[in-house]
Amino acid sequence: MINTSLSLTNFRNHHQTDVTWGEHVNIITGPNGAGKTNLIDALHYLCMGRSFTSSSDMYVVRQETSSFLVKGAFRGSIRSSFEVACSYSRGDGKRLWVNDSPLERHADLIGLVPVVLVSPDDRKLTGEGPAERRSFLDALISQTSPSYLDDLIRYRKIIRQRNRLLADIHMHPDQLDLMLEPWDRQLTETGSRIIARRGTLVRKFQSYLEQAHQELAGSGLVPSISYRTFCDIGEEPEPDAGRILQDYRTTLRDSAGRERERRQTLTGPHRDELVFYLNDMELRKFGSQGQHRIFALALKMAQLYFYNDELEDLPVFLLDDVFGDLDPQRTATVMQMLLQHEGQSFITAAHPDKISGFSASGRNRISSFGVSGGRVEQTP
Amino acid sequence: MQLISETLEQAVEQLARLPGMGRKSAQRIAMFLLKQNDEQVFRLSRAISDLKKNIRYCSVCYNITDRDPCPICQSEKRKTGVVCVVEEPKDVYVVERTREFNGRYHVLGGVISPLQNIGPNELRINELIHRIRDGEQIREIILALNPDAEGEATGFYINKLVQPMGVNVTRIAHGIPMGTDLEFIDDATLTRAFAGRQNF
Repeated sequence: MINTSLSLTNFRNHHQTDVTWGEHVNIITGPNGAGKTNLIDALHYLCMGRSFTSSSDMYVVRQETSSFLVKGAFRGSIRSSFEVACSYSRGDGKRLWVNDSPLERHADLIGLVPVVLVSPDDRKLTGEGPAERRSFLDALISQTSPSYLDDLIRYRKIIRQRNRLLADIHMHPDQLDLMLEPWDRQLTETGSRIIARRGTLVRKFQSYLEQAHQELAGSGLVPSISYRTFCDIGEEPEPDAGRILQDYRTTLRDSAGRERERRQTLTGPHRDELVFYLNDMELRKFGSQGQHRIFALALKMAQLYFYNDELEDLPVFLLDDVFGDLDPQRTATVMQMLLQHEGQSFITAAHPDKISGFSASGRNRISSFGVSGGRVEQTP
Repeated sequence: MQLISETLEQAVEQLARLPGMGRKSAQRIAMFLLKQNDEQVFRLSRAISDLKKNIRYCSVCYNITDRDPCPICQSEKRKTGVVCVVEEPKDVYVVERTREFNGRYHVLGGVISPLQNIGPNELRINELIHRIRDGEQIREIILALNPDAEGEATGFYINKLVQPMGVNVTRIAHGIPMGTDLEFIDDATLTRAFAGRQNF
């Protein structure tokens, strides 16, 4: 998938910016605070319907204005050309369009333009709690499977409904059982499908992760991911959803007492954990900072390779400030990979000299842009 | 800002409360009404106040109606043993438009949603049970609820109560709308249609 042009109106520090991109590697340089990341964030809006730097759309609106608009023209293999737009205003909230027709659900956008994002926040993936890793996995699968995303949205709703019932201190225990039953059935059915999909993905992902990690760190240590849920999902490449459902029902029954004490849903994929290993060593406990950094980057590169194989359209690859703390050898590896990648990529860099050596070798594949004060200009 | 007219402002405020209406549209409508002649505006305001005055809920099926019981519940031409359960009165009109269903209805008035403090007692589920028990000789309940989590939970709850009473509970299939091109179907619907595929 190629983003041919991008237009921002009142988006962060961009008053009105229109850019026409190159088909392969686009390098965006400029001083700190110039608006480089904002360009990538705008692309992220068109792919995922939200910002990756900001928790709320409200903060993305340019100061002293009340709404923003992002528009992008895309070229793909199934749809030869189409336009995606996203707007937000304080009164109307967020709206999404494809070819001028409004999308009813945010979820309908996901997967239309597949995207892989590398950002400084990736350090949370290996360093922070399980929620970060679950959301990486969910975003990874959702872009390849609308039905997974649908299950996920439904599952979260069921959990909220169910937790509300559990939190009702006035309800008689028998009454509570009767009220929970319709939700329990949906919880276990939807939840076991989610677990089976996660299990399948993690197993499939292993070889991609090994490849990416080897490119970055050499063949010394082998990375792996262990997927942990409340039940044993077996060793098959595709876990049996039927058996997981049986286990889920049993575990839910067994934990009924504890659930009523704690007043929340305790069993299910919302509590899953992904554990990262280098050989037999658990990364979170024993990994050095450098190992964390490379593991996180390898996860994202593996995501890119996985999509290359799995999807009809090559993903758009966004790299925000990835070279800041990377040594020259890894910088070279990443640049080499970008130059070989058939799809389109976007890189921001505050120090152009770090990558200037590659501009010569990949001249016909690299387009350079300079940003300052919310203005973008193509540089030779 | 100086108010031009308090009367106008009140009308705009009331109009802006309507669903799908913003302040700007409300202003446009208020200005439009001002230009109409008295009779036209009076007809509109009477239609609105009659809405509340004359319309009531049918004491059998809880659809909205001018007279109780509603024409559908009174009709001799409709089959008595089959009841289609829907969420809202508007759903009755949707099913009626098909002219395929010749039974009667039961309007729940919503779906179970703990987050909105709506439980079975806030809906007309007990009334449905009474209809089955009090000799309407209902053989089949057709659940025509939305396929979201709340609709499913409500269907499940009703099924659990009604099935032991010897009533057959079915639900409408979900799938692809007729006359629609496959490429325009949203992914969720298409996925569900695949899951519910049938032999040719």
